[in-house]
Amino acid sequence: MKGILLARVREFIRNPFTFLLFTGMSIVFAWVISSMNVGGGGGGLPVPVYVEEGADGYQSFLEQQEAFQFYPVDKETLEEELREGEADTGVILSKNRFDILVGVESPNAGLIQQTVQEVYTTDIQETLIGDTADAAGMEADQAVSAYKETLSDGTFDLAVNSFSGEESWKYDDNVHRIGGFALFFAIYTIAYGVVKILTEKRMGVWDRIILSPVKKSEMYIANLLYSFIEGYLQILIIFSVFYFWRGITFNDQMIEILLMLIPYALAIVAMSILITALVKNVEQFNAAISIITVSLAMIGGAFWPLEIVSNPVLLFLAKLNPIKYGLDIIQGAAVYGYSFTELLQPISILTLMAVLFTGIGIHLMEKRHI
Amino acid sequence: MLELVDISKRFKKIEAVKSLNMFIEQGEIVGLLGPNGAGKSTAISILSTLIEPTQGDVRFLKESVIQKPAPLRKAIGVVPQEIALYPQLSAEENLLFFGRIYRLKGSKLKQRVNEILELIGLTEKRKALVDSFSGGMKRRLNIGVAMLHNPQILIMDEPTVGIDPQSRSYILETVKRLNKEHQMTVVYTSHYMEEVDYLCDRIYIMDQGNLIASGTKEEIKQILSSENTISIQADRWNSMFIAQLKGHESITKVHVEEDEITLITPKEVNLFSEIISMTEEYGIALRSLHVKSPTLEDVFLHLTGRALRD
Repeated sequence: MKGILLARVREFIRNPFTFLLFTGMSIVFAWVISSMNVGGGGGGLPVPVYVEEGADGYQSFLEQQEAFQFYPVDKETLEEELREGEADTGVILSKNRFDILVGVESPNAGLIQQTVQEVYTTDIQETLIGDTADAAGMEADQAVSAYKETLSDGTFDLAVNSFSGEESWKYDDNVHRIGGFALFFAIYTIAYGVVKILTEKRMGVWDRIILSPVKKSEMYIANLLYSFIEGYLQILIIFSVFYFWRGITFNDQMIEILLMLIPYALAIVAMSILITALVKNVEQFNAAISIITVSLAMIGGAFWPLEIVSNPVLLFLAKLNPIKYGLDIIQGAAVYGYSFTELLQPISILTLMAVLFTGIGIHLMEKRHI
Repeated sequence: MLELVDISKRFKKIEAVKSLNMFIEQGEIVGLLGPNGAGKSTAISILSTLIEPTQGDVRFLKESVIQKPAPLRKAIGVVPQEIALYPQLSAEENLLFFGRIYRLKGSKLKQRVNEILELIGLTEKRKALVDSFSGGMKRRLNIGVAMLHNPQILIMDEPTVGIDPQSRSYILETVKRLNKEHQMTVVYTSHYMEEVDYLCDRIYIMDQGNLIASGTKEEIKQILSSENTISIQADRWNSMFIAQLKGHESITKVHVEEDEITLITPKEVNLFSEIISMTEEYGIALRSLHVKSPTLEDVFLHLTGRALRD
């Protein structure tokens, strides 16, 4: 077994390009897409704001918004940033009005206007309610707070569920992108490692080993262990790069997350064995793995949060998908701060998948003499 | 020493080997000859315990090895038809790897690797990656790997496919030397009649899963002792001429190639003058016409009506 592992490691050292390609692609995709800030989050798009006298209150309201990051500048800086293209849109806040300055046409301008408008409208409404209460001889403060209370109660309840069944869900764009792409590209690395079993069987290397004193179980374990290590190493590198280079702390739970992702890598190894057992040759495997991996990533929420998916069929398919559980572990620990015990459910499901797929895969492989 | 007893192997609807009986004695070179698809590789896989027969038994030193293959596996070295090597490793690394899986260690392993490299003539290329080797060098290393654990029996499945004449000759000489100097028993499959004719003491000829002839080279060629093999050589053929040969009552087999027609006729019939007048009649420029000593190829043609490489 040691000999087989060593041979695989030596081959890897001679030809690490596939591994490097997939690792590099995960890092580049996660970094570029996070930088584009698709879908918001992560501090929001920076918007320069010039605040005129008497409009300070509006600025503090705006700073509480999550979708955009409003930052104060003087008027000259605001104009210069727009002129130089450093910002698409800027805002001038006055006492009773606001101006939106658009440097470059973008869909964000409308959203910024809506956000600022909401702050002003709320303020005007509260002022009007206070004035009306005064005129009616009532306590203005009481009337305004009664109005706010009514608003916070809402007309109807909105319930949103996350994987753990909570009433609301949180989202960290950076964590999701890194996790999604790391889990997605790890499938390719692991699968191309496992398919070497098929290649070596076709080449006759396995027959040579079968005739030697090495046991068949050792041959499977060595090959699968190597594929696991390669895939897991890739995930480890990707997380470390973002931890040390981009300062993404994963809620100070990176080591815990990486440990809890071991069943994910094992489940992918097992899934790859199953696919290898079902195809007839490497060409079929390559075609199958491309289709399956992209489908798994889309259905499992690697590219977008599953919480925005409402189709019951897609949600059901997600439950059969190892990527979903891998992401549950990452998001659970990094965003919700869950412990190992609280994440036992996705960990157990991934372990079950690993055992089940390995059993079926090896059985089929032996039965079909692949 | 090693026997196949009434072996049959069926893959779904295809019966690859049908009731094959074969024995191999210590120190001999046994050839398994037949065209592609004859069932040679299946027979070799059964013989080396890689696949189980649908019916029949494999015996090594009179003991069945189908359920307990370990004693036979220890005694054989198999050279597969494919290049079963790691292309990203060097020749030496491949030998070290396969040596280790045969539990060879330390100085014994290194010494054996050096001996094999010497034997297959790759000592100077020991550090080169297999990926950079020519077809012939890969084939030589493929043989070397099978001999690492010093097997009693070397089973070679078409070891010279797709290589240059120089490498082929090197391989044939190496096999001959191993047999003479080390008394190694060799089972050699090929569809090249000349190789089997040159190397083997006894021959089994297979076609479409059946064993169609077996014995020493002389015994097999005796099959044609009552017949003549006539070779006609010319630059071009005429279809009417070929049709007339095929329809001739005294000609039992006709095999047409680009510049040669081989005929099998009864020994007592002399067709020379008739063939010469036929070539004149159809305007064929005859280059030669002679009776050949029968070859294994002719025997195969006689038995199946087809050439080995059809």
